[in-house]
Amino acid sequence: MATITIDHRPYEVDDGQNLLSACLSLKINLPYFCWHPAMGSVGACRQCAVVHFKSAEDTRGRLVMACMTPVNHGDLYSINAPEAQVFRAGIIENLMTNHPHDCPVCEEGGECHLQDMTLMTAHTQRRFEGLKRTHKNQYLGPFINHEMNRCITCYRCVRFYQDYAGGTDLHAFGRNHQIYFGRQENGQLKNGFSGNLTEVCPTGVFTDKTFSRRFVRKWDLQTAPSVCEHCGVGCNTAPGARDDGKGDPRKLRRVVNLYHRDINGYFLCDRGRFGYEYTNSPQRLYQPLSATSEPLICTTANGEEKIQQPLAPGDAIACFADLVDEALHNKRRLIGVGSPRTSLENNFALQTLVGRENFYAGVSAREMALLKLSDQILQDPQLYSPTTPEIEQADAVVILGEDISNSAPRIALAVRQAARQVQRQRADALHIPQWQDASVRELESGSTPIFIASVEQTDLDDIATDVLHTAPQAIVEFTKQLTAQLHVASTPEDKPGTLEKVAAALRAAKNPLIVCGTGLLSQPLLAAAAQLAQTVACQHSSKRCALYLAFPDTNSVGLVQVSSATRNLDSLSQLLDNSDIPTTLIALETDFYRQMHTSAADKLLADVQLIHLDLLHNATARRADLVFPAAATPESEGTLINSAGLAQRHYCVYEGSGYIQESWRWLANVAAACAARAGGVEKIPQLGEIARWEHVTQLSDALAHAYPPLAPLAELGPEWNALLDGERVARQPHRYSGRTALYAETAVAEQPPPRDSDAPMNFSMEGIPFAGRDPLQTHNWAPGWNSNQAVHKFLTQVTGEIQGGSSGLYLQREPETFETFETFETFDHTASPGEAQAESDTFVPVPLQRLFGSGELSNAAEAIASVLREPVAQFHIDDAQRLQLNSGDYVRFRGFAGKFQVTVGDAAAPGCIGFITGYTSPLPTGTLPAGDIERVTSNTPGGSG
Amino acid sequence: MPEPPPIQQLSADEIAEIEHEAAAYPTRQPLGLEALRIVQQYRGWVSDGALQALAHYLKVPVAELDSLATYYQLIFRQPVGREVMLLCNSASCWVMGCSRVQKHIRQQLNIGPGETTADGIFTLLETPCLGDCDKAPVMMVGTEMHRQLDSEKIDALIRALRERHHSED
Repeated sequence: MATITIDHRPYEVDDGQNLLSACLSLKINLPYFCWHPAMGSVGACRQCAVVHFKSAEDTRGRLVMACMTPVNHGDLYSINAPEAQVFRAGIIENLMTNHPHDCPVCEEGGECHLQDMTLMTAHTQRRFEGLKRTHKNQYLGPFINHEMNRCITCYRCVRFYQDYAGGTDLHAFGRNHQIYFGRQENGQLKNGFSGNLTEVCPTGVFTDKTFSRRFVRKWDLQTAPSVCEHCGVGCNTAPGARDDGKGDPRKLRRVVNLYHRDINGYFLCDRGRFGYEYTNSPQRLYQPLSATSEPLICTTANGEEKIQQPLAPGDAIACFADLVDEALHNKRRLIGVGSPRTSLENNFALQTLVGRENFYAGVSAREMALLKLSDQILQDPQLYSPTTPEIEQADAVVILGEDISNSAPRIALAVRQAARQVQRQRADALHIPQWQDASVRELESGSTPIFIASVEQTDLDDIATDVLHTAPQAIVEFTKQLTAQLHVASTPEDKPGTLEKVAAALRAAKNPLIVCGTGLLSQPLLAAAAQLAQTVACQHSSKRCALYLAFPDTNSVGLVQVSSATRNLDSLSQLLDNSDIPTTLIALETDFYRQMHTSAADKLLADVQLIHLDLLHNATARRADLVFPAAATPESEGTLINSAGLAQRHYCVYEGSGYIQESWRWLANVAAACAARAGGVEKIPQLGEIARWEHVTQLSDALAHAYPPLAPLAELGPEWNALLDGERVARQPHRYSGRTALYAETAVAEQPPPRDSDAPMNFSMEGIPFAGRDPLQTHNWAPGWNSNQAVHKFLTQVTGEIQGGSSGLYLQREPETFETFETFETFDHTASPGEAQAESDTFVPVPLQRLFGSGELSNAAEAIASVLREPVAQFHIDDAQRLQLNSGDYVRFRGFAGKFQVTVGDAAAPGCIGFITGYTSPLPTGTLPAGDIERVTSNTPGGSG
Repeated sequence: MPEPPPIQQLSADEIAEIEHEAAAYPTRQPLGLEALRIVQQYRGWVSDGALQALAHYLKVPVAELDSLATYYQLIFRQPVGREVMLLCNSASCWVMGCSRVQKHIRQQLNIGPGETTADGIFTLLETPCLGDCDKAPVMMVGTEMHRQLDSEKIDALIRALRERHHSED
């Protein structure tokens, strides 16, 4: 600690930081532009000038830039000295000579850092009368608007995009007065973190194009803390919603980052930021539907699809209750299918309704085995799933098979920071503070050893010290050899191979990190990675090793906790094949046609009655006899468990439109209807408490009692009726407009806002308005700070924890050393590409991940859907030549629906065919004989068409 | 998927000269500027196609190369005339009347800064200090300095350059 004096007042601050972050940590206002908490200082904008006095006798002092000034014990500073104030106002005035006066039509207005800083420096009168420089704007794709005239040349965009995120297509062009930030030519920004530009830019150069379509000001958005539903990382988000008052059901307007130190920090990936539009998709379900036998005019149903028509919610519940009644009288069997993309509470409600023995996880046997295996590996006390700051500090990284840039993007961004760890260590040795960003980046040092084994080129290859592009089987072999190599005492002195180099790096590392995941669908790979991590742990002084396992879905880990390994879609198919009891299948947010092959799904659904609760009118919903519109993640409260085993609660941001409600509420309604018929809840003990549930926190508590690993759920988040200082938390800011006018077109009486029966929050501006006083509050808003930069006001210190502690509690897994994976050998994984040997006349299908394309829900988001490519099959160049296939040809695979565009990439291993997961059905299982590949069309001129 | 190769290619002479320069640097990273200069020497200016060809050859992102090219005033990203007149407009030349010189050029050639004559011979550009302040106002054309400029000297220079190019054609 150091004691410094600012404007005659003493303050205790942490050593080693710069004066700007010290001031902001002390919650003292000091304007800045180019500094960013995650990116450090470059001293470019000169906005944070303060006066530094040499001693108490020094009355004149000298101007210094706070962001470039290390704090030392006994330093004397003045922020309010007139010279400093005049200087700062001068900087802003200079910047503003070229900044357009377009705030009223600028989408940054109201949450603009430049506006805040302009007011903070009291530059309120324009004296400049000359012409402003103007630029032409670029088309940057469907996600980001570009308005270069607003640029103040702080360079934050390129510092984030190039230096932090590794992007290569955004640059600064020109010089002096004519600097331009953009692409070399019009086109979509290629980096998967481009959306962060909208938050990193201190003004309105880069804004969210998806938000533009239905824009409202920040103060007109209703928000609540949420968790991203598009992968297993569990980034925290602050979705913003607003009802337009005219009946448009599309209430969700945008998603922005919600700071969580241990997960996402300040940044989100583009799938997480722009994937929200699925909630507004034309496919969205708003009312219950029931299949009818009457032919309808204009129906779009075809094939096995049912003709459906809307049904009143009460009638739909009654129909559902009839079936539950039959089941209660043993005339029918109810089977529930749970989902990894919805909350634990929804899954638990279904499990309670149908009974544990009738609850099946909505994933294949192969995926279930992978999930169980991963979960079992993470039980090992020697292994731990690292936080994002821990990943950033790793000094040796081994990535095995998992394409984290596409399957767990935020983790890839953290690994990218780890690439500079050796450089940062060098800076420490030279006593250069870490926040001196430009100086540290200029240091000549080796790179952090990062080894990537993958089935194709990955976005992290540019930071890798060694890369191995090969078949899954070879990755497993390499991992085993690496483990063996670690047991070899020494490294050969001359010319060590990749294996020796990687082993030496792992042995020497202070913070080694192994990354793997379920992406390649290979149990042997997961087991080999676990054994490697164990070996590293044994040799490490701490006897522990960081192992990040990427799970596919937002609640995969949660579903595993409540599911039996033997109850999955494959065992369900077998069960239904071998019995003729009348069966009703209740599918909770599961699209069978995404989890199974079309023929298998058709067969599964052929002789059952299907009740489907889901968000979108997907292929399964089109076949259902009864469909209920379920609430999406931002429309509901629930608990999700991320890949690191952190249980986090997402809260309802806005009430879903139409008859949308949480899946568990539909099920509770049905149980209540059964109870009413039976003459009381106690008459039907089989249904347990479900009919009594009114608040989601009751389900969380029940889960905590039912499953020991989920015990922390009882402590998680506030109870639905908790109050802080006698108040609930406001979802809307004070300035939220139109409360009494929004619906005046149809009714002049002011309607009471909806009540939240799950969280102590209001759908209005009444209650606790600001973040920092309560973890439920997401308005990054403090006096003088209208932009997202206000977040520092709610942190213990810059880049520290949020006041009151980071949200979420870790699972309590039973510690058990992972030894073998024999437990899961009973499952069909003969087809898992980690094992199958490529024969000369057969191919191994290899799953490939894509940021845009592999996400189920995000693929229904308008902007993301607009950039999806058609399904591809990636061939190795040798195989393509042998089969006479060219890039752009189309092929079919016998027994597998759909056609695929051929791409000939040189990174795919011979004998493998890469398929992008998530477009339609799962991968072809088993090996693919060459004879099953059928060319549909050729793109070579004169080729067979 | 690997990016398709660029449509334009560098010539063998350009490549040879770039590789000759490359030998002078410990890494290839700082080669961009020299390579741009070489390409410009052969082609007069750096077109989008030439830029892409060069980026492909050097294996650097095209945006990075363009960022470099646009930073340097003497790398031309638009076609220029055969003679580029770099007229100094820094303090000494300004005091000694560079604006008079510029006005005279406009009268004679009908071009302002950044413009090229219709016959494609002359381009006028403003430049910061050329380091010859004691002989201001000055202008650089090709590799030659023209000092203590006045109307007569400019007229003579224009005439001489024009004749040279007409006789070449």
